[in-house]
Amino acid sequence: MVAITLENVSKYFGETVANYQVNLQVTDGEFLVILGPSGCGKTTALRLIAGLEQPSEGAIYFDDDRVDGRSPSARNIAMVFQNYALYPHMTVAENIGYPLKVRGFSPDERDEKVEDVTSLLHIEDQVEKKPGALSGGQRQRVALARAIVREPTVFLLDEPLSNLDAKLRQEMRSELKRLQNELEITTVYVTHNQEEAMSMSDRVAVMNQGTVQQVAPPQELYDRPRTAWVAQFIGSPPMNLFQGTRRNGSIDLGEAGTVDLSGVLEAKEAVVETSERDDVQSTALLASDTQGTVSLGIRPENLTLASTPPPSGNVIEGRVDTVEPMGEYILVNVSVNDQIVNAKVSDRTVSRGDRVYLTFDTNDAYVYDTNGDLVA
Amino acid sequence: MSLQDHIDGITVDRDEGGLLDIDREKAVALAVFLVPGLTLFGIFSVAPIVYSVFGSFFSWDTFTLESFVGLDNWIRSLTDQLIIHWPNMQELRYPMGALTHNLLWVVIHVPASTFLGLGLALLFADLKGRRFLRSMIFVGFTVPPIVIGLVLMFIYDPRAGLFNEVLRVLGQEQWVRNWTQSPQVAIYALIAGGIWVHTGFSMLLYSSALSAIDPSLLESAKVDGAGAWRRFRDIIWPLVRPVTAVVVIMGIIWVMRMFDIVYAAGGAAGGPNHAYSVLGIEVYRAAFRPPIDYGMAMVVALVQLFIVAPLALYIARMN
Ligand SMILES: Nc1ncnc2c1ncn2[C@@H]1O[C@H](COP(=O)(O)OP(=O)(O)OP(=O)(O)O)[C@@H](O)[C@H]1O
Ligand SMILES: [Mg+2]
Repeated sequence: MVAITLENVSKYFGETVANYQVNLQVTDGEFLVILGPSGCGKTTALRLIAGLEQPSEGAIYFDDDRVDGRSPSARNIAMVFQNYALYPHMTVAENIGYPLKVRGFSPDERDEKVEDVTSLLHIEDQVEKKPGALSGGQRQRVALARAIVREPTVFLLDEPLSNLDAKLRQEMRSELKRLQNELEITTVYVTHNQEEAMSMSDRVAVMNQGTVQQVAPPQELYDRPRTAWVAQFIGSPPMNLFQGTRRNGSIDLGEAGTVDLSGVLEAKEAVVETSERDDVQSTALLASDTQGTVSLGIRPENLTLASTPPPSGNVIEGRVDTVEPMGEYILVNVSVNDQIVNAKVSDRTVSRGDRVYLTFDTNDAYVYDTNGDLVA
Repeated sequence: MSLQDHIDGITVDRDEGGLLDIDREKAVALAVFLVPGLTLFGIFSVAPIVYSVFGSFFSWDTFTLESFVGLDNWIRSLTDQLIIHWPNMQELRYPMGALTHNLLWVVIHVPASTFLGLGLALLFADLKGRRFLRSMIFVGFTVPPIVIGLVLMFIYDPRAGLFNEVLRVLGQEQWVRNWTQSPQVAIYALIAGGIWVHTGFSMLLYSSALSAIDPSLLESAKVDGAGAWRRFRDIIWPLVRPVTAVVVIMGIIWVMRMFDIVYAAGGAAGGPNHAYSVLGIEVYRAAFRPPIDYGMAMVVALVQLFIVAPLALYIARMN
């Protein structure tokens, strides 16, 4: 229906910086999820798009129209608030019909459309009730129905599933996704729940402290987190980061061992070339003899545990701290240089206090520089 | 011991000891707190009402009960031109009778102070320094009404009064008059002066009702396309309706029991030739000014009570 562009948008509340120089493009019909920890400015970004807040700096476009400064009602958006914001004194039918009533639809048209969406969302038999008499899941459906009833061009959702129990959340997740596919409405969905973000989105925008860290499809976000922060935010448990010193083409992890940097860089060559900046940096990194700190990142699922030192390859040495059977897998916490490292393994072969050797494929390793930017 | 046994054990424990003990303690505590209250309520509320109802059917010699006269007091009082003055009402001339004057207060004062209070509350809802303004206006409500009457005298004074001065400054000399002594306008002057008192009360209640409205409801209405007026009509007004009920009813109760302001402005007669007398004034005069007519005082007070009591009950039973 419409593409949304945020251009260097900042929003300040007095001293508080809620959004800082946010650049974001949502393509027509896309399902974009804004993901980030509490207080990172997700809601603010959504409210800026809705027009409930005006940007302190920057511009917002719907297609080619600049919309910042326009009122929410002039933007033809629909929004589902975190607490649903259903009008408590109106029945479900009146709630859903309200946007139509305001826009001057005749009662007959209204009834017809309300009937359509209520049957789409399976709440036909609730229409006479007041919101106070509904369960959380039903309220959420009513809020959704009210949002889609007048066929908006943009659909904004602020943590709409956070008040539901786990089972219902799962159900609504797929229902929402199905609905969005069907209606093909450009959607911005805010959540702090990774699983939600990964399972529903076309692309995810990861935010931290008011800035957008990375915008990428879920798989890419997992495969190539562009900053150390994103790496440590995505995945459960998140990626392990080892602090080390770069020295003569390898990373010195102190007592835990040494990792050959050239191996990691070569393995990443194909990917690195896709980004010019990375290319330059990694080559420089490889060539330079100077010392510096870097972080080596490896996901828990890519670490292999051995009780005896393997004959070759990169090895990180540590001592088993705890072993947590999770059903699907076993999570082993290994203490390496006083840092706890997570490894997901399938067999329980080690126990607390064992000396273990962590190995990994150079393909699965990431290197971040002192600024936390991905270099390889 | 199975879980079921365990649960049974808990219920048994509760039945045998805990709950009953607590209940007994509660009952004792309730009694301790209720008895003094109920006693006072009996002495100062129930007894006078019963006594008045009883006494209203008897003739009185000053303060002593004489003989049963049936509805005599009632008929005499309700046909008294001091209470309802039909001929003057038909000609829209004051005085129209105390009851009519009270109802006039209800019809003008109550809606005006209610809407003014709501308006101010809405205005202050997103205004900087609203606390200060709000407290200024609320102070009006805390001032004793008799003082307000005196302030009104000062404002409406024919020579030194603020109001006339303003008229002179505005060049509206023809309006300058002795406001509280001109029979045809005095009551409106008093009503206008009394409004700001109750406005403070209504504004305060509306302010807290407004701040209790979830802001996302109004934002949602904004997104739904509703302008300021529709948001007020469709969301705010229905949501503050319980407060409106309280404000209106309290307002009616307040003006039905009006005494101080009228007394301060017009004395025990309620203005020149009773021009703006109210029921409270008539009760006072009948009971305390010679010729004392205790029967009429009781009847008029009961009329006041019959109008006010159901309203008070309604508020008390609201949740
Ligand atoms: N109206 C406001 N006035 C002042 N500060 C605000 C306002 N709205 C948001 N903030 C601040 O801006 C920052 C971002 O808030 P925002 O609500 O966008 O976070 P969020 O990512 O949605 O968090 P959460 O996941 O907890 O909902 C916070 O520090 C918050 O305190
Ligand atoms: Mg939020």
